[in-house]
Amino acid sequence: MSDNRIIALAGNPNSGKTTIFNALTGSNQRVGNWPGVTVEKKEGVLRLEGTDYTVVDLPGTYGLSARSIDERVARDFLVRNKPFLVAVILDASNLERNMYLALQIMELGVSKVVLVFNMMDVARSRGMEIDARAMSIFLGVPIVPTIGNKKEGIEDLKRVISLYVRGLSADNKMEPGSPFKYRQDIEDAIEQVESMIPNEIAREYPARWVAIRLMEDDSEYRDIVARMSSGEEILGKVEALRQHLERILGYDVETAMAEMRYGYIKGVVREFVKRRPSIGDRLSMSDRIDAVVTNRYLGLPIFLLIMWIAFMLTFNLGGFFSDYIDAFFTFVGSITAAHIRTEWLASFICDGVIGGVGAVLVFLPNIFMLFLMLSILEESGYMARGAFVMDKLMHAMGLHGKSFIPMVLGFGCNVPAIMATRTLENRKDRIITILVNPLMSCSARLPVYVLFAGALFSAHQGTVIFSIYILGIILAVVLARIFKSMFFKGETTPLVMELPPYHIPEPKGVILSAWQRSALFVRKAGTVIFAAVILIWLMASFPLGAGYASEHTLIGRLGSVLAPVFSPAGFGYWQAAVALFFGILAKEVVVGTLGTLYHTTGSGLSAVIASHFSPLSGYAFMVMTLVYIPCIATIAVIKRETNSWAWAGFAVAYSLILGWSLAVIIFQVGSLFA
Amino acid sequence: MCPLSMCAPGEKVVIQRIVGGWGVKRRMADMGFYPGERLVVVNSSGGPVIVDVKGTRVGIGRNMANKIFVTIER
Repeated sequence: MSDNRIIALAGNPNSGKTTIFNALTGSNQRVGNWPGVTVEKKEGVLRLEGTDYTVVDLPGTYGLSARSIDERVARDFLVRNKPFLVAVILDASNLERNMYLALQIMELGVSKVVLVFNMMDVARSRGMEIDARAMSIFLGVPIVPTIGNKKEGIEDLKRVISLYVRGLSADNKMEPGSPFKYRQDIEDAIEQVESMIPNEIAREYPARWVAIRLMEDDSEYRDIVARMSSGEEILGKVEALRQHLERILGYDVETAMAEMRYGYIKGVVREFVKRRPSIGDRLSMSDRIDAVVTNRYLGLPIFLLIMWIAFMLTFNLGGFFSDYIDAFFTFVGSITAAHIRTEWLASFICDGVIGGVGAVLVFLPNIFMLFLMLSILEESGYMARGAFVMDKLMHAMGLHGKSFIPMVLGFGCNVPAIMATRTLENRKDRIITILVNPLMSCSARLPVYVLFAGALFSAHQGTVIFSIYILGIILAVVLARIFKSMFFKGETTPLVMELPPYHIPEPKGVILSAWQRSALFVRKAGTVIFAAVILIWLMASFPLGAGYASEHTLIGRLGSVLAPVFSPAGFGYWQAAVALFFGILAKEVVVGTLGTLYHTTGSGLSAVIASHFSPLSGYAFMVMTLVYIPCIATIAVIKRETNSWAWAGFAVAYSLILGWSLAVIIFQVGSLFA
Repeated sequence: MCPLSMCAPGEKVVIQRIVGGWGVKRRMADMGFYPGERLVVVNSSGGPVIVDVKGTRVGIGRNMANKIFVTIER
């Protein structure tokens, strides 16, 4: 008996499931205009008439034959957890394909089903008139039209859910006018197989469902059956039936079954959806944009141009606001120094809090701008195109076009980016994408670049920082190629991806999304970074009498041990060494450490950097920061997603060796010319 | 019959055959591609082939487009 408090939301990618989920539960999960935003199931609470229901938002999937991890999560939840009610979210403007999943969920027959025809406004604007009422009677399931982003129809959906839960609909259950059936000989075969399914399996999976999957030659279900004592007999029978049918059909059974489902759906859509002759069929604006953006020659330059503009805005506009935050901290620092007489307390506030945390927070505007650019990119619909533009390049480096999306997300933060690799079907592609993902320079490293480039390359800082990002991308390309030939050989899976129509991002939505992600950065500054800074401040203060942040303090001694390692790279200062060392906690801590040790922020810190580093050694330091060890959170997520400490360890080892080698090469070769 | 990758934008085609293993065929079927289905080629400029299938735009990588065989409808 399934728990009648669990309601699952299923649907095709980009059909607006998460928008409906947010509207039902008041949650704030991320949405975006590309297939694959949701890669794990998310739970929220819906309160209806005093009772709490768990609503589960499943990753988008086109059918129930799961290939990638996110699709498997969705499929397994539907098949094995048997939620009481499944609300299938469909893009109403595209019922013919969206119904395919709905039909399979109905065919599964373990849950009550509600069809939610979302994006009704889009359907209408395309000249479609859907007779949802008649269609609902015909299919024998309730249909609720909605416009998720305008919250229209959500109350209706809640009403239907509560009707179902209270069992009213179950009592006067609508009889389907014409339930879906395969052609008679296939139905007969399914029935024969169904009767052979042993109880052990039928307890866990619906028997008819298993029979259908076996007739479709689904290897996962074949394996399940093969483990049974009667397995061989059943599979033998299935094979005989399949061969018999194939002789009659003239082609394979699974194709015939897919055709029949689509045939049925076509009939339903033709019956209940009227299409006014409309502009919907002509080449849309999106198509015209795509003709340019995905063009063989223009695609890549356009991609680079978009990136360049995004980075320029991040630095120039962000830097403008950073100056104000810097002025604020300087002001607070001078007041503290003037009014707090207790020496250690003044040092703690000036050096620890302001020097450490303040040095990081100064970069909030840059980080906000970065996330704003990423949000606009995600909302606009360009992400899916990017996958195709980069497909050739990705293939050349032994990756998959779809790897592009996690790579771009890596510019924000590598942790969600690595999780986004779940949409990749092939495990090899996935592991390589995970391993090289930290080379996509995340927002945490941005403060380091802005600080160093600002201090050492004032006139060309934008270009210098851009070059670091490009270097990261090039390294990722080269390494992916090397890893591929080292560990994995063999083919890659085909790239087929839905291209959602472009739309102009809604200002409120993108600002909110950028703000939420920036807020995480602020929280990190108040927690991890703050804790690290306190540790550094303490280590810089003890033993007492050694002089704050001198070479004889604890931190000075640690740094002096590490520093010689970095001498060949031109930054063999103990301060730089400990900054890199503690940067493993979170890359922002590199700046925080320098701020604490040189007890200054913003422009003051720039001046200190300029006196300690030459442009060459500064650049080597930036490259080291780019490449060396992913932060702790990233190491943890690599371990979790690859399910192996070995891969996580490998990521740490290669990045450390590579980062150090590059820093040394840059400094040594550069010195020859200097 | 020719591969989808050879078709020009604007051409209406009917899928005849998809070459690939069980997984590939199944995945294509889930997205609406199966023998007998009609497509309109929307964009094809040496990069991905973008088709209209059941009212949605779907991009198909060059490699996969070489493995979908279609006939052109007049």
